[in-house]
Amino acid sequence: MPERVDRDGTPAYRFLGVEMTRREAAFLGLGVVFLFVIPDIAGLSDSLQLSVIHQGLLFGFAAVGLNLLLRHTKLTSFGHAAFFGTGAYATAVLARYAGVQSVGLLLLGAIAAATVMAAIIGALSLRHTGLYFALLTLAFGQLLYAIALGQSALGGSDGLPIRPGPANQPLLFGTAFSPDVYQVLTYYLTVVVILIGLFVMYRITQSPFRNALDAIGQERTRARFIGLPVRRYVWAAFVISGIYGGVAGGLYAVVRQYVRPEGTLFFLRSGDILFMAILGGFRTLVGPLIGGVVLIFLQDVGQDVTQYYEFLTGVVLLILVYGFPRGIVGSLRSGGIVNTRLGELRREPSVLSTWGRTAVQSIERKVTAALTSLRIILFGVD
Amino acid sequence: MAVSATAALVQTLNGIQFGFILFMIASGLTVILGILDVLNLAHGELFSLGAYTAIGVFGFIIGVIGPPGGGVVGTVVFVLAVIAAVLVTAAILLPVGTIFEAVFLRQIYDRDQVYQLVLTFALLLILLDVKKFIWGDSSIRTDAVYSAINTIPTSELVGLNYPTYNVFVILVGSAVVAGLFWFFERTKTGRIIRATAIDREMATAIGVSTDRVFTLVFALGAFLAGFAGAMAVPPTSATLEMGTNPLVLSFVVIVIGGLGSLRGAFVGALLVGVIRSWMITLYPPGEIAAPFAIMALILLVKPEGLFGTWGETA
Repeated sequence: MPERVDRDGTPAYRFLGVEMTRREAAFLGLGVVFLFVIPDIAGLSDSLQLSVIHQGLLFGFAAVGLNLLLRHTKLTSFGHAAFFGTGAYATAVLARYAGVQSVGLLLLGAIAAATVMAAIIGALSLRHTGLYFALLTLAFGQLLYAIALGQSALGGSDGLPIRPGPANQPLLFGTAFSPDVYQVLTYYLTVVVILIGLFVMYRITQSPFRNALDAIGQERTRARFIGLPVRRYVWAAFVISGIYGGVAGGLYAVVRQYVRPEGTLFFLRSGDILFMAILGGFRTLVGPLIGGVVLIFLQDVGQDVTQYYEFLTGVVLLILVYGFPRGIVGSLRSGGIVNTRLGELRREPSVLSTWGRTAVQSIERKVTAALTSLRIILFGVD
Repeated sequence: MAVSATAALVQTLNGIQFGFILFMIASGLTVILGILDVLNLAHGELFSLGAYTAIGVFGFIIGVIGPPGGGVVGTVVFVLAVIAAVLVTAAILLPVGTIFEAVFLRQIYDRDQVYQLVLTFALLLILLDVKKFIWGDSSIRTDAVYSAINTIPTSELVGLNYPTYNVFVILVGSAVVAGLFWFFERTKTGRIIRATAIDREMATAIGVSTDRVFTLVFALGAFLAGFAGAMAVPPTSATLEMGTNPLVLSFVVIVIGGLGSLRGAFVGALLVGVIRSWMITLYPPGEIAAPFAIMALILLVKPEGLFGTWGETA
């Protein structure tokens, strides 16, 4: 049962190690209910598709895993699609070649494969930090992509169906369902897995392990001096974050019933996963998940509206980098940029024109500076 | 598997030719990485922008001077015109690189490195659609340069049937390599850039404007990428996705050679190029995976790359 505790004067409740105020609990409850009713809401409108949101949640879940590295150890992995793809391909291979039909077993297989893969890639790339680490994870991700493309057993560029023939679909609870029901049921399964995953991640972020990771992220040498086994801890964090990717990939394969290298292992997917974390706000727990849904939704809508949807995504990322570096969740929080600006606007509406003027001015300044540098490079200083 | 000596030689030459193209891309990337500490994900797009631009420039130049005239003089004029076209293309990319650095990247040097990745990735996506907007979805190509240069006899003189254009790429590539090393070893600007790579603060203290060096280095990288694009496009066609593969291979080259090392980039590029092209005859599915396998091997044996970091020597 929830136990009452005191947090900085406000009453809070602790349940299963999760501590929150009444307001936060209400938000959490609303969020969970919202996740569960999405299939019903999606039925109301054509532009809102369950499969799109589902895919967003799955990639977002991988981003939650990546966030463990990004937020605490300050390591930027640019190859998380490797684990997503490993999970997806492990599921497909198990279902196709080993004849495994149960979704639970398939997911366990995905977890095992992703763990092994993360352990290997982590051991090879974690000697380095910074951009070198990003570059290495990217290269390893592309290696897996190349393997999936080159091996005919893995279907090459055509990909791999989970099971051949009319009985394509894996079994849930030992029964086969009709496609519609299957879609909704796998969605609920995803939501349950995500909730468990978020809970585990929350417990990790409340543990001494997280403090150790923070220390490592701030200053490795000092962390080693105070006796932290830096290499081993970072490696553990890497494997955990890889497992999140593997679970997401396994679920993706179960839902889609088809795995393609382009959709799971390609390095643009790694980029997507990283940007979901930043778009949602990588200093927060649920930010990456929200970022995942928003990015996938945006890409889907963009594809319908214009053939230049990559441009659209690029512009959104630019706005993000310059305007809202703390991401969606980070900006909406109290003290975030949105709240501050809204407060200013409420106090003094004329501030809007000042903002417009400063924006134009700063763009002007930057263009002039660019032209000056160009002139100096071409003609030298006169 | 028996492979004839001629086939092996042809594959090796193909590999060297690809290696030179790769070097031009990777060298810009590695110098940017070594000095600005920025991993430019949009570098492959600069390469493909160069390829697209080159098709237009080639068309214009051939329109002006006409097809190669007979005799030695006509051929020489044509080859020089092609080289001029490549240089023009690369020069068109100079302002692109400058704007990249001065307008976009400059704002976020003091932020977390992850924002650089987002920014350069955003620029990658934007450039991708800009190309789609200007040149359309389908691939475009120019045959004139490739076929015209191939009529010049080179390898036929030693009894080998090998496209002259590839020999041309190897020659021009060697000139670029020599030029780059000369630039960084002998010229004042090159030394200033290297000094900035070794110690940014010290360079500032003795009066080097690091801001200007940053812009210059980025423009140089764009120049080289455009050069590579112009050299690479005549035998094939320019496609929207052509930037991805060279970009990722350049990463492999950088890891093999050592972060920011020009010499390492040269050795790495040739290694990757040759091994990749051998794989095409020996074991085709391994073509894509082989460079990564070498990379993993080198990481295990020598984690800092073959030549370590850059600065003290070019």
